[in-house]
Amino acid sequence: MDQPNAIIHQPVRLKIMAALRALPQGEQLEFVRLKAIVGTTEGNLGAHITTLEEAGYVAVEKDFVGKRPRTRVALTKEGRRAFEDYVSDLRAIIDATRADS
Amino acid sequence: MTLSRDEAASTLRDISKTERRSSELFGYRFGAPHLFLWGAIWMVAYGAGYYRPHWTLVWPVLAIAGSIGSFLIGWRMKTGRANAFGWRFGGTFLSVVLFIGALFAIMPPHTDAQVAAFFPILVALFYLLIGVWTGGSRMIVLGLAMGALTLYGFFNLAPYFALWMAVVGGGGLILGGFWLRHA
Repeated sequence: MDQPNAIIHQPVRLKIMAALRALPQGEQLEFVRLKAIVGTTEGNLGAHITTLEEAGYVAVEKDFVGKRPRTRVALTKEGRRAFEDYVSDLRAIIDATRADS
Repeated sequence: MTLSRDEAASTLRDISKTERRSSELFGYRFGAPHLFLWGAIWMVAYGAGYYRPHWTLVWPVLAIAGSIGSFLIGWRMKTGRANAFGWRFGGTFLSVVLFIGALFAIMPPHTDAQVAAFFPILVALFYLLIGVWTGGSRMIVLGLAMGALTLYGFFNLAPYFALWMAVVGGGGLILGGFWLRHA
């Protein structure tokens, strides 16, 4: 594999995907918690989530808890598959270079 | 763009670190409501043990209510992982009940205070083990704190031990729940 998945292979999006992949399938993560895990600004996180949503990798759900707006993000099946492929590709690079040396 | 072996390895390390952190926070979110529930139960039950020592049914009744409450909390928060491991939680609970039954049959406690101190120590052990196995540093701190406070009260505050456990043990669990929820 020469070119990793360009959508996932970006530091913030990579962390978003990894944080969501660690959860049980279908489980959602609140935006504020995701922000704490990824360690970035709200605007930056929002922009990267939109990119992942447009790629079909994450699903975003917005609602209200009382009067407080809440945004929750979950990995889609497609996103989970894409991320697992991406991780496999990374492992393949390591294995290939190990075999060469 | 071609990735080198070092870049690939570094990316995998980042992924692993983020997954661990996410998993840890998920566990905290799952555990916090149980701490609130059992903190309140400890406050009431140990408090009753101090102020109304003849109310012998308080603990069994509240323990059963707490177990049902914990089950309902788990049910409400159920996830794919919780479903998959549900039978293991049930199996663990049953194993612990059998272990305690066997332990008390072999080494029966001689005083109520021993029983009152044994269960918090057991819970502290579980918190420690959960923390060690999941990398949840806050669970380790909670386990150590609960164990140390229980031992301190048992050996140094014998006449007020039930009250100590109501305030420090029960209150500590509730504070621990807030601590986990805001992690």
